[in-house]
Amino acid sequence: MAEMKTGLAQFTNVVEKIADNKYLLGDRLVEIGVSGPRLESTLSAIAMAQGELGHARLLYSWALDLSGFSGKKPEIESQTGKAFQFIEQVDDWVSLIAALYTVNASVDIVLNAVLKAENTDIVSRIQKLIREQKEHMMYTEGWIRQLREDSKPVQQKLQQYLDAYTLEAAEWLESLDADKTLQEGGYLSNDSALAEQLSQRLQKTAVLN
Amino acid sequence: MNNHEASRVVYDVFTRIKRGDDLFHVGSVEAESEQLAKVYASFTYDEEKWVEMVVVNRDQIKWVRKPEGLFEKEGA
Repeated sequence: MAEMKTGLAQFTNVVEKIADNKYLLGDRLVEIGVSGPRLESTLSAIAMAQGELGHARLLYSWALDLSGFSGKKPEIESQTGKAFQFIEQVDDWVSLIAALYTVNASVDIVLNAVLKAENTDIVSRIQKLIREQKEHMMYTEGWIRQLREDSKPVQQKLQQYLDAYTLEAAEWLESLDADKTLQEGGYLSNDSALAEQLSQRLQKTAVLN
Repeated sequence: MNNHEASRVVYDVFTRIKRGDDLFHVGSVEAESEQLAKVYASFTYDEEKWVEMVVVNRDQIKWVRKPEGLFEKEGA
């Protein structure tokens, strides 16, 4: 049990950060997604918003459990302040897709590293989440492809957003790589190299066409 | 995003509620790629917990028999 305590606070922060990102992304998906370029893309954006907000709710509840909270859990009315700053700047379809991609890719990388650590209590909490997130990833990659085939200004705008957003995500992943308590506590697999994985995904995305 | 109009394709969506049930047509989606068609179908037709869902590019459906237009003679 003592081993589990190592890195627990850091892991709780990770769970809260993912929850915050999903909470804000859900909000942006409704706000911007509702005026998506196609009926199907709008319907999917709203469905994904429900998914993201549902994930956020589960993760906030889990973070409270991890921090030893007992009793009736409070209603979540705002994020805890750990979300990526770029999500709040999302104000059009292209920035929404870039933010969706960045958040989904980085969260996916972290959750898979957590899954690889094979902590049974944690694995049961995130397996469904990872599965549901795959569809979000497919949607986002599909739209990245569309925007890369669009007019030159749209392509450039997308690239500018991706460059800026992934920088912030990479900083977060680097900080997790550097924090060895997460690995020592059995919360992250030892060989994860999270920032490197994001860089590889981005290279793959750069040739998505 | 106008240059996508030409590349948009209609995909028919077929689903099966339970194992052993018939696969039936529930609707269609328009998408720019097969990947997006799958996601759109999954998010749009989520009223049941389908055991199976399939999207078929409408261009790939080969007609054996097609109904004639009701008002064909009038040129409708």
